[in-house]
Amino acid sequence: MRLLRELSRRKLRTTLTILGITIGIWALVVFSSMANKINALVDGGSQYFAGKVLVTDKSSVGVGIGGAPMSTDVADQIAGLDGVAAAVPEVQMIYDPEGGGGFGGSETIIGSVAGADQGHETFPLNPVQGRLLTPDDEGSDVVVMGSDLGRKEKMQPGDHVRIRGTDFQVVGLLEPTLTAPDSSAFMPLAAAQQLFHDSLPAQIRQAIPANQVISQVVVYPQSGVGEDVVAKRIEADVDNASTLTGTEFDQQVGSATAIFNAIIIGVAVISLVVGGLSVINTMAMSVAERTREIGIKRAIGGSRGRIIRELVTEAGLIGLIGGLIGLGLGGLVVVIANEAGRDSGTVLFQLTWGTAAFALAFSTILGILAGLIPAWSAARLDPVEALRYE
Amino acid sequence: MTAEQAIEPIAPQQPATLLEARNLRKTYRLSRRNQVEALRGVDLDIHRGEMVAIMGPSGSGKSTLMHILGLLHGPDRDGGPPPELRINGQEVGSLPDRARTRMRADTMGFVFQSYNLVSTLTALENVSLAGEYAGVPRGRARDAAMAALGWVGLAERHGHRPMELSGGEQQRVALARSLVNEPMLLLADEPTGNLDSARSQEVLQMLRRFNRERGQTLLLVTHDSEVGETCDRIIHMRDGLVDGVEPRSA
Repeated sequence: MRLLRELSRRKLRTTLTILGITIGIWALVVFSSMANKINALVDGGSQYFAGKVLVTDKSSVGVGIGGAPMSTDVADQIAGLDGVAAAVPEVQMIYDPEGGGGFGGSETIIGSVAGADQGHETFPLNPVQGRLLTPDDEGSDVVVMGSDLGRKEKMQPGDHVRIRGTDFQVVGLLEPTLTAPDSSAFMPLAAAQQLFHDSLPAQIRQAIPANQVISQVVVYPQSGVGEDVVAKRIEADVDNASTLTGTEFDQQVGSATAIFNAIIIGVAVISLVVGGLSVINTMAMSVAERTREIGIKRAIGGSRGRIIRELVTEAGLIGLIGGLIGLGLGGLVVVIANEAGRDSGTVLFQLTWGTAAFALAFSTILGILAGLIPAWSAARLDPVEALRYE
Repeated sequence: MTAEQAIEPIAPQQPATLLEARNLRKTYRLSRRNQVEALRGVDLDIHRGEMVAIMGPSGSGKSTLMHILGLLHGPDRDGGPPPELRINGQEVGSLPDRARTRMRADTMGFVFQSYNLVSTLTALENVSLAGEYAGVPRGRARDAAMAALGWVGLAERHGHRPMELSGGEQQRVALARSLVNEPMLLLADEPTGNLDSARSQEVLQMLRRFNRERGQTLLLVTHDSEVGETCDRIIHMRDGLVDGVEPRSA
């Protein structure tokens, strides 16, 4: 308590020191939260793709934004291959062709027959409101929304929403997964096929009926059969099939995000170092200013250890206060930016308990270390010399 | 509580000589060619209960002597007969820093010309800090500090910080701080140097009173002959040596 009182009597110096730490920790919290979000996205994707093979048409541009049209025949053909436990025909397409893509992938429509995976899907999707899709939903225009998308559209189960010109009834909202499903709309295959068919050029529309068009096949290998084995077999036997396995996803998407991640972590580390140095500098200045006071305390019987302890405790407390404020401000930025971004589907940050604890521990330890060096040298001064200091 | 009630005489202890110094030397090496011989071999005895003034022109080494006697500096070991410094019969000249610090806290009180109070602490906290450094628990140190502020007539001002007090008041707080552990030896370096004559007299009379009533041994450095007049003895210094001792019967 006395320590806090003492700090409050040295308002300017204490405020400046705390401010320096606050800025460093604020940057650390914000950048770490950004890195957390990216990691969660990549981990989620990696988890989603693990143990399965995604098959798209060779002419497709990439993963996740909907492939070129294929026929349901492809799914049937794959289902007949050795080592394949289930082959689920799906339509994946952009949710809103007018809107821009959100961070970490655009909002997407995913259409498939509920239960077609025959229990092989391991990625957990749970409703927080309403229900999941059932096979009986085939033929009706219903939709289950991921957590971010549902929030953006301000939907409750029972509400109606227009997707690509068609009226859908929302029957469920999903729990947050921190990855792709959060910005997805899940609908029965037939409904998605109709939307997909409508989006195709007239020539293709005439060549293939809506109920046969799909954009991808999700293949679950039989247990004991490697996904790469199945992928090779599909590419060999199925015309124009392009495959993506979990391992390949980790390599492709993982390495791309790793670079992005490294940049962000680099910025966070730089802000740490800069923040850390400024803390050490301020702390050193603040101790140097008090050389005379240290001389007084030494003269009236304060031991070196005691003086160092006093200064270091104070430095640690300043670090902790700066850390708390920095964490508070960082948290505020994260919440505000996420809320502001939610309407456009851009949820950029994820502040975890780990990040918060690290930020506090870091600022406190940094404060202690920054105080230790000048405190040690100040306490070693000859008391008479320290007393002469102006 | 009045000042008189709070003061109790210190029980007489052995031996009669509180402080014995022999061959004290100190050379400051300011640069390779510029050395100042502040003390060039000082011998000194201070008796228990004495009030002694050390006087001399500036640069005569009186402050350095005070710092060595107050264990803030060690005497130089080289270039002459080995220095000896005994307090209460105990050799202290060669003690390590930790033991000297302990000794300062337990047996000495310091008063400086420029008060040297900690500016962020209140009068009470300044005084009680000295108690805490001597190992007294915080609560008791606070009570003792309050009593010490009573001795110097500043009990009412205990919550004020140094900048809210006049020079005379600050010096009285410093005096209370030097007394709070009831030290055997009080060392005062120009205690009235920054005060006008009325405040000077006030502080001086307080010092005299504590010396008389409590048998507190008092050693003060001054170049004010009026201050010297109030003491039992005056030790004159010149060029780093004792130039003469003038006994007085105050």
